[in-house]
Amino acid sequence: MKPDIELILTHDGQEWIARNGDLAVSAESLSELDEKLEKTVGESGKFNKGHKVTVFMGFDYDVIPTWMRQYHTHYFNRLYTFEVC
Amino acid sequence: MSSVNKKWYSGMLSNEDWWAVWLGMSMFVLGLLSITGVDLVGWMAKTSTWVNPADGLKPAGKAYSDMHPIISLIVTYLVFTALTTTGAYFMKLNVKKFLYGWTIIFAITWAAWFIGHEAHFKAVPSDWDKYGIGWGLALGGGASYMLALAIGLFIGNFTKGFAKTLYEAAKPEWYIKTAIVFLGIKVGLMTMKAADFAFELAVSGMAATFVAYMLFWPIVYTVGRKIFKFPRQWAAVLSSGISICGVSASVATAGAIRARPLIPVMVSMLIVVFAMVELLILPPLFTATLDHEPIVAGSAMGMTVKTDGADAAAGAVMEEMMWAKAAANGVEYEHGWILTASVMTKVWIDMFIGLWAFVLAIIWVKCVEKKPGQSHIGKSEIWHRFPKFVLGYIFTWVVYMGIAFWGPDLVEAAKVGAGTVQSPMRKMMFMLTFVSIGVITDFSKLKGMGKLALYYAVALFLIITPIALVVAYLFHHGMMPPLAG
Repeated sequence: MKPDIELILTHDGQEWIARNGDLAVSAESLSELDEKLEKTVGESGKFNKGHKVTVFMGFDYDVIPTWMRQYHTHYFNRLYTFEVC
Repeated sequence: MSSVNKKWYSGMLSNEDWWAVWLGMSMFVLGLLSITGVDLVGWMAKTSTWVNPADGLKPAGKAYSDMHPIISLIVTYLVFTALTTTGAYFMKLNVKKFLYGWTIIFAITWAAWFIGHEAHFKAVPSDWDKYGIGWGLALGGGASYMLALAIGLFIGNFTKGFAKTLYEAAKPEWYIKTAIVFLGIKVGLMTMKAADFAFELAVSGMAATFVAYMLFWPIVYTVGRKIFKFPRQWAAVLSSGISICGVSASVATAGAIRARPLIPVMVSMLIVVFAMVELLILPPLFTATLDHEPIVAGSAMGMTVKTDGADAAAGAVMEEMMWAKAAANGVEYEHGWILTASVMTKVWIDMFIGLWAFVLAIIWVKCVEKKPGQSHIGKSEIWHRFPKFVLGYIFTWVVYMGIAFWGPDLVEAAKVGAGTVQSPMRKMMFMLTFVSIGVITDFSKLKGMGKLALYYAVALFLIITPIALVVAYLFHHGMMPPLAG
């Protein structure tokens, strides 16, 4: 199933950042990030109230230092679902 | 630009794991073509035990016996430089820096390999008359490995500025994973001779790994939480790193529990240094105490040493030490089985990590994040974490086993190419690993990591090593490597 929104997830040392060409949200924890994302998407008006939105967050592996990439090549991806309020 | 593992084929051209497969498979295919009667890999340079330096280097293939040894070495450099630099380009490394570092590491590798084959270093006592020498260190092939490691460590710790210029090409995991793909050919050839033993080793290795997993992680995690009072995320990432498969496990676990990337980075720095400690201490320790149970020692090594590079390196050193010790007593094991026991155990561990991280991710979402309905863990996570070089290892193994079963007439011709790929090429990748792992190991990084380092040391020496030895003994005792000849 194709997600409604695809985002690239990174971490700048302080905060998680989820972004694509249209939106960007950041927060210290992933729970806060999810809350901000729900709010931002709801306010954008792109989806009707009650619509179940699926968001794919793919972690950008370039965040991991180059020397570590030879050991493991994946951090995590998230599939997050919420209802537009 | 970003690197997101979105599709099943993501990373096929951009990460070391896949490039170990491509590098390994390209030489495997060239080697396999010897079944057509053409040797396409015999140009590879190989070292021999020497007293006169002129006898120390020659091309590996009989078809290339007229080739001058220096030409053979130059061709070896050019072929592998072309392959690795292509990989570096696709992996978005700085190609100029890579080429410089690769050339230096290649030169050190061959110098150490050549010097380590001098008869006084390498020859076992039964061969001293053959080489006309009256004394020697009898280190076997381990002399070259230890020398390469010593040079690498010297560079990494005493000439740090120079070491940094080599970092772009100091990729022990890439080199060792390629070597393990080549090792699949050797295991395939060994399986032709001792299929039952190979099968028993694989199955008992899997069982031992599974049992060790079930014990290592919960014990180390509990010690981390209850005694060292680490926060939950730190304890989980440390436990995986220390007890499963090092950096790979710490990254996988941190990803599974959605930890800040800083945590696996810190833990990984610790693991890389401790892997070197394990590599330096365990081979002589196990050789001194477990030479009567070499397969137990190999398997325990695989469960104890926490990076692929350090594990395979430790397995190779220990095999050479045990082989030389046994040879001094008139027993000559077939080369490869002790190393295989070590690597096979590690490969099982590497394969399990994806599954373990998947289970942990589900537990984390349901029990810690408490968003079971909203946050989903895709099954693709297992695939993205699966070590791809294992595919190359298994494939090359199965192909050579298949030739033995279904094309016995081709075996002799197949051995021509296989012999070169699984021996001098594989050993060169091991040597590159030894130099590289030394270059990137900086013991001063332990400064300021007091509590983490203490926890690692306690877990390693009081939990992991004893349990690994007991489990390896339970599953492998009495298994002896076949004798040579």
